[in-house]
Amino acid sequence: MRMRLPGLFIALGLVLAGLIHIVAVLALPSLAPKNGFSRFAALGPVNTVIQIPPAAPGQQPMPMMAPDVRYAFCRFDLSNGPVRLSARITDELLLIALYTPGAENFYSVVGADVKRPEVELIIITADQSVEEAGVDSPESVDNVIVVNSPVSEGIALLRLPLAGPSRADAAEQALKATSCGPYSRSG
Amino acid sequence: MTSGVHDSPLTLAPTRPTVWRDDEAGHSMRSLVYFVATFVVALILGIGSAWYMIDHGSPLTTTKVGAWEGWLSAGNPNADYYTRAHVARSGRLPLTSTVARYFVARTDDNGRALAADCTYLITGRPLNARWWSVALYDEYGGLIANSSGRYSFNSEELLRHADGSYRINLARNARPENWLPTGAVDQRLTLMLRIYSPRETDAAGIGFIAGDRLPKIERLSCE
Repeated sequence: MRMRLPGLFIALGLVLAGLIHIVAVLALPSLAPKNGFSRFAALGPVNTVIQIPPAAPGQQPMPMMAPDVRYAFCRFDLSNGPVRLSARITDELLLIALYTPGAENFYSVVGADVKRPEVELIIITADQSVEEAGVDSPESVDNVIVVNSPVSEGIALLRLPLAGPSRADAAEQALKATSCGPYSRSG
Repeated sequence: MTSGVHDSPLTLAPTRPTVWRDDEAGHSMRSLVYFVATFVVALILGIGSAWYMIDHGSPLTTTKVGAWEGWLSAGNPNADYYTRAHVARSGRLPLTSTVARYFVARTDDNGRALAADCTYLITGRPLNARWWSVALYDEYGGLIANSSGRYSFNSEELLRHADGSYRINLARNARPENWLPTGAVDQRLTLMLRIYSPRETDAAGIGFIAGDRLPKIERLSCE
């Protein structure tokens, strides 16, 4: 019995190490206070489009932002109903990506795949429906996309990669035409 | 470990110098020491391996080609827990890997850390994607101040040869062709290659970039 003691301690050590490993990996996302979502959340209110100034030294809300991409975002809050995000597609490079607070990119659409000059996303949670919000059949309109969000608060991040150095102004203008707000029939 | 425990002041002087045949008090004290040592070793192993898997990744979570490292499921809602932890720690909001791929290099092709006081030649061939860009950062992901305001080269602006191949000079002082300034401060550098809308995907729908398409990073000289 006593001769097996070191073996027991080694086994115990390995099991403990495994448990600590698992706990550390699972706990890290919630222990990382400055993840991408919270960095953006600190920049302004919900349900409105906020344009991010071009990334420059000392002027980046996130590390490793692309200097040759223009960004705008809307932090959406669906607790009072669906949110509508509309964007003008001036460039096939435009990327709209929706994120959970855990930085999961649960939906994205590329400008090249939208065959219209504008796109409208209606973001809803699983227990909401656009009918309730006063729309009869938004699916009949090609440029309206209803997106089911797994979270009631998240971020829609728009990226417009520059198709050349002279395109920065046009890209910033295009992002200015984006709107985000509570969904209503009139809006 | 055995001899260390045996020599430890915590162990009561054993009547016989054999590890496993001591009196009861010596034995329980030794057990306690073993237990504490086991716990400390487990803590180091557990945290260390977690840190390694989150920071460096494994063949299951990352692609490594030359100096480049890319996380296969970054931003993906179905990502494994290592990838989630990596993304959370990075402070970034990456596009899901079915829409974009990101590759980071912190060394040259020979594994030496990228440094601002060295010059490097980056050579590459066109990537099969809608848009891509090579950007230079400090080791914390901050852009590096320079007088020409040049922080990156993308697929639309890069000067290329007739066959589509390109060369980017990473250097402190101006260079011909594509020059990416490393800035005045002596520090480590990080390169990021972002590839939006890759045209090829693997079986899981993740954007596929052939390893030999990633640019080579060659160190030319150091100050």
